[in-house]
Amino acid sequence: MHIAEGVLSAPVLATGAALTAGATVFGLKRMDYEQLPGVAVLSAVFFVAALIHVPVGPVAAHLVLNGLCGLLLGWLAFPAILVGLTLQAILFNFGGLTTLGLNAFNMGAPAVLVGYVCSFGLNSANPAVRTVAEFSAGAGAVLLSGILVACSLVVTGESFQTAAWLVVAAHVPVMVVEGIVTVFIVEFVRRVRPEMLQGYA
Amino acid sequence: MIRLRAIRFKYNSTYLLDGLTFHVEPGDRIGLVGPNGAGKTTLCHIIMGLLKPESGEVEIFGKQRKVEGDFAEIRGRIGFLFQDADDQLFCPTVLEDVAFGPLNLGKSPDEAKQIVARTLESLQLEGFEERLTYQLSGGEKRLVSLATVLAMEPELLVLDEPTTGLDEETTQRLVEILRESNLSYILISHDKDFVQKTADKICEIKDGTIRFI
Amino acid sequence: MQIEEFAPGESFIHRMDPRVKITATVVFSIVVALHSSVNGELAALALALVLVLAARIGFGSVLRRLAVVNVFTVFLWFLLPFTARGEAIGTVGPLAVYGEGVDQALQITLKSNAIVLTVIALLGTSRIFVLVHALSHMGVPDKLVHLLFFCYRYLHVIHEEYGKLVKAMKVRGFIPRTDLHTYRSYAYLVGMLLVRSFDRSKRIVAAMKCRGFKDRFYILHHYDMRRSDYVLAACSFVAAAGLLVVR
Repeated sequence: MHIAEGVLSAPVLATGAALTAGATVFGLKRMDYEQLPGVAVLSAVFFVAALIHVPVGPVAAHLVLNGLCGLLLGWLAFPAILVGLTLQAILFNFGGLTTLGLNAFNMGAPAVLVGYVCSFGLNSANPAVRTVAEFSAGAGAVLLSGILVACSLVVTGESFQTAAWLVVAAHVPVMVVEGIVTVFIVEFVRRVRPEMLQGYA
Repeated sequence: MIRLRAIRFKYNSTYLLDGLTFHVEPGDRIGLVGPNGAGKTTLCHIIMGLLKPESGEVEIFGKQRKVEGDFAEIRGRIGFLFQDADDQLFCPTVLEDVAFGPLNLGKSPDEAKQIVARTLESLQLEGFEERLTYQLSGGEKRLVSLATVLAMEPELLVLDEPTTGLDEETTQRLVEILRESNLSYILISHDKDFVQKTADKICEIKDGTIRFI
Repeated sequence: MQIEEFAPGESFIHRMDPRVKITATVVFSIVVALHSSVNGELAALALALVLVLAARIGFGSVLRRLAVVNVFTVFLWFLLPFTARGEAIGTVGPLAVYGEGVDQALQITLKSNAIVLTVIALLGTSRIFVLVHALSHMGVPDKLVHLLFFCYRYLHVIHEEYGKLVKAMKVRGFIPRTDLHTYRSYAYLVGMLLVRSFDRSKRIVAAMKCRGFKDRFYILHHYDMRRSDYVLAACSFVAAAGLLVVR
């Protein structure tokens, strides 16, 4: 979920921007030039995947897939997400410029975290362990993103508390869908191109 | 120019190339044919050092080539045209894409721009410099890809399925461009007519080896 | 994918140096986002409208973009007036309406519309490639610049592949529903795009190597600031400073 312009306070925006700048520079350092086209092209896939609206009961939600991004790219998920959000902000006016840093952090930090934690179960011989790892990566990243968005709102002002709760609540169904979709995607990739799951991290 | 000896290359536990020997001499214009999956593209990738054979010798321009560094030397001298032009054209504009090779060879930006202008002119693509690569038509993409390769002034061209998806007119243009150039080349194609018109020798890859037909 | 719809055009805004546009947009966005008076925000919105008019871009498309942004602000109008604290200024049915909440919803609406209009007028009127070239001259790390280039370049290729796959699914009778089959089908669609793109990136790297790539990209586009660009830069900073003063 992108936070629009003009909502958040200066300290929140500045913190988000600083954290994203740091994480991006760190991510870029770990990426050599030969990996660059791969990261960029995957970033483009995530951009296109975000155009897919999947039905969730009576409404539709677009795919986020930041958990999958973390699983495939590790730390490099940060620059990949920043690039995707920048293009979305300029091309579609989703999110915005002042919120770019914070939005990238809210999406990227969970991606890197779940990518790291869940990678331990990713190549387990036991299919149940793998499924749990994949589902938690997809669902966990979206949940954490929702919580970070809610925190950004609450820190900005008390009057946003209800909005913050609604944001977290709205992420719950999306989270389940993301978890399921992530399991299927990873199992597809495992069968077709298993070397993609070795990770860049 | 190229001497491959007893090349073996394994793909999915079977040998795709099995003891293949192949020579290219200056002035050769070779058409490479064979069924799908016979190893034509693999052979070209081995020449370019993109794939490493399990065994056998790769000698290019009179020198054994084994490690990445050996092949980096030859890549400016052998121009490789990829099957899918979208793989080759990755820069925003035609100018930047065609200039990419010359710049890598150490040309200055001004020299590179001159080379781009010259190359585009020779392919009748004048004024394409600022066109966006992703907005080109299929035929234009193919010709611009060829420009990116020719801009490096190679001694030998390797063309992988250059006519796929091209209309008759563009195919004809490609035939003329190749015939009028004084380059040596190897081309892979399923288009019999095209091979007849452009190649002086035709080789077939089958069952892991190669023979002239 | 309807993108870069505002980029073609002949207005003076279209011809402005992209570095000036980027700097002005960022400065303006920050000033507006952190503004705290309705008057200042109204002035900012007026200024943004002037920019849109000056850019002479299709108003219909601009309104469509605004509609998307305002889904969020409408949501806030339904929420903030009733959930804020402080003194109630009236009631709607059983709910108390709080002045502070109305004020917040109003300010956010004004701010976000002003900023989005500015982004459309200033950044939307340049091609992405031009903007990214400009960023490379503004100290953005080389790798990030090239990630943007590559990503945007292959966005088109991947979107086309996506379109083809979706069509292929539709002609075989696929209708999205809330069920596992739908989720699995979409997952395979994305999985296929990922695998194809991964393979493509390997071929791109190979093609780059064949043309002698040695871990260095070159930027051929350079920009020269004309006198009009300096004037426009100065104007935008005066405008931003003016907004800071309005209370």
